[in-house]
Amino acid sequence: MKQRAGAAQSRKRRGVHLGFAHPGDNRFIARMSEPKEAWSSRLGVILAVAGSAVGLGNFLRFPGLAAQYGGASFMIAYFISLLLLGIPIGWAEWTMGRSGGLAGYHSSPGIFHAIVRHPLGKYLGLMGFIIPVVVYMYYVYIEAWCLGYALNAANGTFSTPGVNYGAFFASFTGAGSDGVAIHFGLKDVGLFVLLVYVLNFFFIYKGLSKGIEFVCKWGMPLLILIALIILGRVMTLGTPDAAKPDQNVLNGLGFMWNPREVAAGLRNPQLWLAAAGQIFFSLSVGFGAIITYASYLRKKDDVVLSGLTAAAANEFCEVGLGGLITVPAAFVFLGAAGIAGQGTFGLGFNVLPIVFSKMPFGDFFATIFYLLLFIAAITSSLSMLQPGVAFFEEGLALKRKAAMGLLALLTGLGTLIVWWFSKDLKALDTLDFWIGTVGIFVQGMILVMVYSWHIGIEEAWKETHEGSAMHIPVFYKFVLKYVSPVFLLVVFVMFIAANVFGWNFAFGAGARFAPTNYVTDLVGPNPSNVARGTFLFAMAVIGFVGWLVHLAGKNWAARSNGGIKP
Amino acid sequence: MTIGGWITMILSVGFVTGLFVYCVCRVLFGAQPGPEDE
Repeated sequence: MKQRAGAAQSRKRRGVHLGFAHPGDNRFIARMSEPKEAWSSRLGVILAVAGSAVGLGNFLRFPGLAAQYGGASFMIAYFISLLLLGIPIGWAEWTMGRSGGLAGYHSSPGIFHAIVRHPLGKYLGLMGFIIPVVVYMYYVYIEAWCLGYALNAANGTFSTPGVNYGAFFASFTGAGSDGVAIHFGLKDVGLFVLLVYVLNFFFIYKGLSKGIEFVCKWGMPLLILIALIILGRVMTLGTPDAAKPDQNVLNGLGFMWNPREVAAGLRNPQLWLAAAGQIFFSLSVGFGAIITYASYLRKKDDVVLSGLTAAAANEFCEVGLGGLITVPAAFVFLGAAGIAGQGTFGLGFNVLPIVFSKMPFGDFFATIFYLLLFIAAITSSLSMLQPGVAFFEEGLALKRKAAMGLLALLTGLGTLIVWWFSKDLKALDTLDFWIGTVGIFVQGMILVMVYSWHIGIEEAWKETHEGSAMHIPVFYKFVLKYVSPVFLLVVFVMFIAANVFGWNFAFGAGARFAPTNYVTDLVGPNPSNVARGTFLFAMAVIGFVGWLVHLAGKNWAARSNGGIKP
Repeated sequence: MTIGGWITMILSVGFVTGLFVYCVCRVLFGAQPGPEDE
């Protein structure tokens, strides 16, 4: 106790505070220059965050999981995860972002540097920079598939008699073999990769309000409108094949929503892992985007209602639209057997083209569906670039063009690796697992621990409610301090046990472990050179970014000392 | 589609739609911070 009191006095003497930033209070936090950019409206930032969250997973991954784990039990676990994990951690991220922004920082390392006030604090935000940048490397490749599929659908490619959808997917995405995807015709992904790169960097160059906010303000309503049109089409499909009366819309909805054994389902840890994981990844918490977007808010801008609205928009798109479109449509034309075992990409790019080809006006609906996926993707990919640009600008003092150039080089290198080593989508899958999945869990955990324990729940709670348009029920203090961290930790441990050590989800004597492909691809008798190379690349990026954060820390320290380098 | 399926779907879709509409209405028609607060 004496030591702690001494340390507190020592911090006080040095003018160091471990709490939140209060603008104008130089004793408490190292302020930088005033923010140059800002959102033009509250709706703009909400749509930008919602756009960041709404992605392919809403329309392809969620419906598959809900159908797989049986309606009611999955949805119970899903909503519990939403209330205890997604929404509260989202509030924490919005709050920390706004506070960091008030201190003049907009990147995750900068914001953690400002809040934690410790030489190592900036490294706690490291993954908030690495995750969006690395995920962008492969996400933009998938975004190019969406645009390519939309244009091919408009061109009638999928309704051509005799077209082999599996072969088209393998050739278009390069999943068949390495190097085949680097071609530039309409039926190749190359042209679309270049196009989406140019589009993304163009809108980032335009800035926060005229670029990102503009795209999301138009894109999100358009996305919902398209989804409603497709939903209307799916709901009126009836029984398209009289010879298969069981394959009708009602049975399609039943396949998705009918509850199976609810109590048994809720005892299944695999179901909880799937539901909590879907919520966590779908809402983009811990990803690095929300914290950066929120950093452009003003002191009295609300974060409570805004955070809840962005989450609600994501859930509406996922459950209300995605849950009613994809699986029922596929069931009506292909039956349960046509959907079983299909992952996100299989459902979206193998199964659905077949479904649309059998549907009246199929080319039109396929075009707008893939356009919808493209809009969902670009509003997400833009949110992956802004954290990188913000860090290069504030950490390395680069001008916007130089920051964009450096970011384009870094992400371009990663995209080239994913693009060339496309067989079985191995490079993409490796980056997605180790950075886009494991990394998000780690950053999410850091975020909620800093909010609830380092800052302290009382101080953080007060900061969250600064300028708030609504009050959070007080029991969320307990949730944020104990429930969310423990819940997230349990889910993370289960995730690692299952996806790294190959746990069979049994307890006691029945528990078995067998390392998964993610491990055996890296070490073992038959490693994958592509997986190894990609993993090393990811580690190199982490090392490189860690060094950049070190340099940035020196710059920030120099600015705090009035320009005198320590 | 069983009765349980209908209940699950209506509750799930209804909850997210209701929450979304409520939040959007609060954002669009709720009190905005005045200039003195900025």
